[in-house]
Amino acid sequence: MAGDATTRDLIGWIERFHDLVREHQAELTELDSVIGDADHGSNLARGMDAVVAKVQADAPTTPADLFKTVGMTLVSTVGGASGPLYGTFFLRFGGSAGAAEALDATALGAALRAGLDGVVARGKAAPGDKTMIDALTPAADAWDAAAASGASVLDAASAARDAAREGRDSTIPLVARKGRASYLGERSAGHLDPGAASTTLLIEALADALATS
Amino acid sequence: MIGIVVVSHSDALARAAVELALQMGGDAPPAIEIAAGVEGGFGTDAVAIAAAIDRAAGEDGVLVVMDLGSAILSAEMATEFASSTARVVLSPAPFVEGLIAAVVLAAAGADLDTVAAEARGGLSAKLDQLGSPEPATARESAEAPTGAASESHFDAVIDNPSGLHARPAALFVKAASRHDAVVQLADLDRGGAPVPGRSLIALMALGVRPGTRIRVSASGPEARAALDELRALVEDGFGER
Repeated sequence: MAGDATTRDLIGWIERFHDLVREHQAELTELDSVIGDADHGSNLARGMDAVVAKVQADAPTTPADLFKTVGMTLVSTVGGASGPLYGTFFLRFGGSAGAAEALDATALGAALRAGLDGVVARGKAAPGDKTMIDALTPAADAWDAAAASGASVLDAASAARDAAREGRDSTIPLVARKGRASYLGERSAGHLDPGAASTTLLIEALADALATS
Repeated sequence: MIGIVVVSHSDALARAAVELALQMGGDAPPAIEIAAGVEGGFGTDAVAIAAAIDRAAGEDGVLVVMDLGSAILSAEMATEFASSTARVVLSPAPFVEGLIAAVVLAAAGADLDTVAAEARGGLSAKLDQLGSPEPATARESAEAPTGAASESHFDAVIDNPSGLHARPAALFVKAASRHDAVVQLADLDRGGAPVPGRSLIALMALGVRPGTRIRVSASGPEARAALDELRALVEDGFGER
């Protein structure tokens, strides 16, 4: 049973996200080949390979250090739009989490919210544009609601994971209004958004890491 | 002189675009730095762009010209990482046209806002040529019409083989930019309003062909010197004869 999340737990989150991205790499690329440029899975996998190599070579001791490493590494290695978007998410997440030894549900929720706000500011997408924030926004909302009612970090993460999955699936009928998929206009409807899919893996990874800590 | 940063998904594309631009603005070019590709493949890297901004930055600021998609997100992020305090403008210009206009104007010593405005108007020559109904913005922006009293002019026939195409137009812009004078050029055969002589895009949009009569007018403290140099340039066929 998890108490507050330590830096070690958060490293576990990043490692688990790497595993999930690797596991779903072909699927993400397949989704991206329908409405994008077929590189989301490989780009993110390359970025997370580099992240895990760095984190394992020199283990960060605070959340701020960890997420700065994660964010800057993604920015420099992913190449596509998910580089600056995920990079911004982690840099803002780390900025909010700071140097705390352990984060409770409220602090993690605030960090998640800071990351979400960063992604929105970077990509200038709104909910319903068929992007990663269609999964991230409901996840942050569910996290905050759970934290406000006194849930543990594990329960908050489970609620966020369920909300992210629902948000991800809600992108299927949407018409893309951002990124390469928007070039397709109406033809983008009927397909799952790859960014929302990978973001859901991110939240699933957090729930998994906290459950095993 | 301002610096220019070229951001592209493709290193080869960026190098070729810079080479093309230097054909036109190459005598004393501005500092141009490329940030393109990721790990030998396609992509953009905000950290590399920030480093390029820092290398290109002088006191007069930096214009960043980029291709599409993640290049825009990465360039925006790079402005947060760059350590230089120089002013940085991210240009929405079309990549090739904007880069050429920027290099020519920057080489002529134009300031950051002028170069940025010229690059942004980079589509107008193509719009005019292809008969698009959209107005050519570069023609409309521009130095205001000048009072007739202080204005002088000369008329000439463009007789170099290719007319006032990109390279001659670039030479014209550079010569016009060297003087404290407002220079305009009009096509006397086709009529129409004069266009600013410091705008590469506007000059190219005129589409002046060999044999066309033009009028070059100038006003301001160095109008005479500007007209003398431009007359010599035109009569010399822009060095193409």
